[in-house]
Amino acid sequence: MTRRDFIHKWTVYALGLLPVWALDAYILPRWPLFGITPMLLPLAAAAVAVLEGAYAGTGFGMAVGLLWELAYPGGFGGLVFFLALAGMAMGAVSQYALSQSLIGCLLCSAGVLALLDLLRIARILFINAARLSDLLQVAVPEFLWSLAWTPLVWLLFRAIYNRVGGTKLA
Amino acid sequence: MKDFLRQNGILLLVIALLLSILIGVTSAFLGGQADPLSNVVNVIISPIRGGVSAAADWMEGVYTYVFRYQELEQELTELRGQVGELEDELRQKEEAIRENEQLRELLNLQARRRDFTFEDVRITGRSTSNWESTLTLNKGSSSGIEAGDCVVTETGVLVGVVAETGTNWSTVSTIINTETQMGGIVNRTYSAGVLEGDFALMNQGRLKMNYLPEGAQLVSGDEVLTSGRGEIFPSGLVVGTVEGVFTDPSGQTRYAVVKPAVDLDVLIKVFVIKDFEIIE
Repeated sequence: MTRRDFIHKWTVYALGLLPVWALDAYILPRWPLFGITPMLLPLAAAAVAVLEGAYAGTGFGMAVGLLWELAYPGGFGGLVFFLALAGMAMGAVSQYALSQSLIGCLLCSAGVLALLDLLRIARILFINAARLSDLLQVAVPEFLWSLAWTPLVWLLFRAIYNRVGGTKLA
Repeated sequence: MKDFLRQNGILLLVIALLLSILIGVTSAFLGGQADPLSNVVNVIISPIRGGVSAAADWMEGVYTYVFRYQELEQELTELRGQVGELEDELRQKEEAIRENEQLRELLNLQARRRDFTFEDVRITGRSTSNWESTLTLNKGSSSGIEAGDCVVTETGVLVGVVAETGTNWSTVSTIINTETQMGGIVNRTYSAGVLEGDFALMNQGRLKMNYLPEGAQLVSGDEVLTSGRGEIFPSGLVVGTVEGVFTDPSGQTRYAVVKPAVDLDVLIKVFVIKDFEIIE
């Protein structure tokens, strides 16, 4: 794949991330369902990692993490590394254990969402800021409502993959 | 494993780790001021955020007009009735204020006077996470807004406190956010407590008033104001009303659940109190 093809491919993926970001940051928070808004950015990282594999998953995860840290309030930096690592892991798991399918994406998304929520819960419990039952009241609906958006995000990135993904441009 | 990592982006992972550390360190050192990278990104996306927010406002307006016209008409009738009652109440209160002034002089108490400096701002973004309740404003440090400034509605109802400022944007930690903590006082009984957000109550749009005095006799509907203790936040800002009083699971302390006087979901324009004075 030439450098030009590489740039073309990842520009299209970046453009695909834009509607997901707009939904996640500006549209869905205005109309939360039972007070809960879904997290769509980890789903985007999961979808691309499943479709493109570990190497691309690491890079895209890092880009999504950067967007999350810089464009959203209250960032502390950890998400860049976390999503890069998660992208690598999800890409590897889909390459060697799962398939490039919606089910594979759902499982990877569930994993990354659960891990994100568990890390948040652990951090809050560590600083003794709240009770576990209170935190689960936030984490469980968030996990389920976010997971419900996986098919939509998968379809979007699957369509991009079918057009420019893998080595199609080579 | 080594080969796997080499083939699968170990270099990218190292870059990600360095970026994480860079962002983390700059955020920690800058406190309430946004780190330079976040600031640049947010300065760039600020107009986009404003545009999306305006489009969503317009869509909401159309929806309200089409589907809630009758409801609004009924609300208008009720509000007219309430205005009449309030005007009557105001006349009574003016008399009470005059009497109060006389009593203050009699007791040789010095009246407290506060001078607020306001900055009017628009809300261009709302919380994107279920773990916090924040608002994004369309003005920042270039308009003199600083972390710790209080944000109120046009009627003086507290919305939250500025948590972070960038050049042309700032984020507000709302009163129901778990990071918010300030002194509160119940207007009727003068019972003081600490107002703080709670994970279990945040999604219901409520907050807690902790550390209530043992003998505090609060009832549902009691008005809660900011106490202004420590002189970090102005006193007398309306926070909301007591919805219920409960005992902590430990059985040691009681707390009140407070319903904010402001509906955070429908706010569009708010005011930042940039400066205030307490003259004793």
